[in-house]
Amino acid sequence: MSRRGSLVKRLDRSGLGLLSPPLLLLLVVFLLPLLAMLPTSFQPYIPGKGIGQGFTIEHYVKALTDSYYLEIIGRTLALGTIVTLTCLVLGYPLAFFLARTQSRWRPWLMLLVVFPLLLNLVVRTFGWIALLANRGLVNDTLIALGLIETPIKLLFNFSGLLIALSHIFLPFMVLVLVGVIRNLPRDVEDAARTLGAGWAATFFRVTLPLSLPGILAGSILVFVLTVSALVTPRLLGGPTYKVMSTLIYDQFLQLLNWPAGAALSFILTAIAVGLISLSSGLARRMGAGA
Amino acid sequence: MSARSAERWRARGLAAFAAVILAFLMLPVVVVVLASFTNTSYLTIPPKGLTLRWYEAVFNDREYIDALWFSLILAVVVTAVSIVLGTMAAYALSRRQVPASAAITGLLMSPLAFPGVVIGVALLQYYTLTGLRGGFIGLLLAHLVITLPYTVRTILASMAGADAEIEAAARVLGANPWVAFWTATLPVIRPGLMAGGLFAFITSFDNVPVTIFILGTRHMTLPVKIFTAIEYGVDPSIAALSTVLIAGTAIFLVLAERWTGFHRFA
Repeated sequence: MSRRGSLVKRLDRSGLGLLSPPLLLLLVVFLLPLLAMLPTSFQPYIPGKGIGQGFTIEHYVKALTDSYYLEIIGRTLALGTIVTLTCLVLGYPLAFFLARTQSRWRPWLMLLVVFPLLLNLVVRTFGWIALLANRGLVNDTLIALGLIETPIKLLFNFSGLLIALSHIFLPFMVLVLVGVIRNLPRDVEDAARTLGAGWAATFFRVTLPLSLPGILAGSILVFVLTVSALVTPRLLGGPTYKVMSTLIYDQFLQLLNWPAGAALSFILTAIAVGLISLSSGLARRMGAGA
Repeated sequence: MSARSAERWRARGLAAFAAVILAFLMLPVVVVVLASFTNTSYLTIPPKGLTLRWYEAVFNDREYIDALWFSLILAVVVTAVSIVLGTMAAYALSRRQVPASAAITGLLMSPLAFPGVVIGVALLQYYTLTGLRGGFIGLLLAHLVITLPYTVRTILASMAGADAEIEAAARVLGANPWVAFWTATLPVIRPGLMAGGLFAFITSFDNVPVTIFILGTRHMTLPVKIFTAIEYGVDPSIAALSTVLIAGTAIFLVLAERWTGFHRFA
């Protein structure tokens, strides 16, 4: 008995031993760098010289009151919201089809959803440049069809970012929803139909409410990914049409205003991490209620 | 119209909608492939003429080839180390009594919640202070941080399906811990290791938001190289290079599906 006890203790120590390399990595290359950026965000910025001495909250105040910054933050949140809704409207029917189809092609259709995710993001964004440019495929097609006479501007503005980001994050929404819809109890739907509910009533009063946890999880994921995205907004928005992440990029690499960039980074992080923890709390409540 | 035929039409409508959305998902891919064959010096779809000269231009460009090799080597090293670290963490969390294991799991997953650009700028400042900026080690460590959540998660999931008793039996029968793990547990969690490794490889090979801030001038990765090239202006050689990556990714995906039944892990 005592031998067994000492064995258990030895194994426990080995558990912490096994965990220490990955935890050390996170401490040194993730937590410490983030902590080190915190004081930077409270230091003054002297144009032409860089980071000054002293303590100031001006970067946070400016980010949350200055109309230029507020417009960019508002644009980022609006983009996140509309991209999320678009992914939901386009993704739910596709996910429903993929979850329910009996087709033997199903694994391959799933791979069609996964493929864009694995493909280099820069390549996908480049595809959208070719599609949305003034002489791109979308404008050429619309002109050939006689729907417009001169090209409409789809790059360096909201609509271009909306289309491309919806495309890029749609697979995430679909994969989350497929998982949830596949696990729905089919007998509840059958019961509703047997009891005389029509197709629409069954869908809107049984299937859709039961898939709400998946809708919530997928929406939070797509929203956070959209407001965090850097590559696509930078390449399709150019240096002028900015969102929060490209503003941070410019503050660090172009303007060398690290304190302002650090403050904006913490505001963006607060939005992303705050939403994720809020949603996991909500999911627990919904799980407990079900 | 009978209820049954209405049902059939609804199913067809849904299938048609799904086909349109799947086509939308593949649209930029098809466009890039088409644009790579154009004989013009500007990007145009459908291509005018048919030429492979943009492929020739890309394969003769040392900068692209060097960046490709560097990205591949970095991704392979990152994947190998990430699998080892991920297995250590997942094994400890699922097979040992670890204090605060929920908090530790949350910490290991947390790089997923942070915007890549924030991790990137934090490392830019930190690496500038510590002198790691621009070196291979700095890149490796940064990529390990962003790939670890994927390896830990998939390996944890496969650990849950592996029977701990088999390894315990091997220990009782006298096998040392390494042999017991290697022969009793590893074969069972291998699909999880493979899937986690694939995610780690793609995450490393694909990354721009973190990499671009810590790259310096000594090294160049392929996605950052393409990213900066597009910022300077697009031409069909970028489409040719993209098509090479599209073909590589497609082969990778088909092989991954054969080996691991990849779509179940996505």
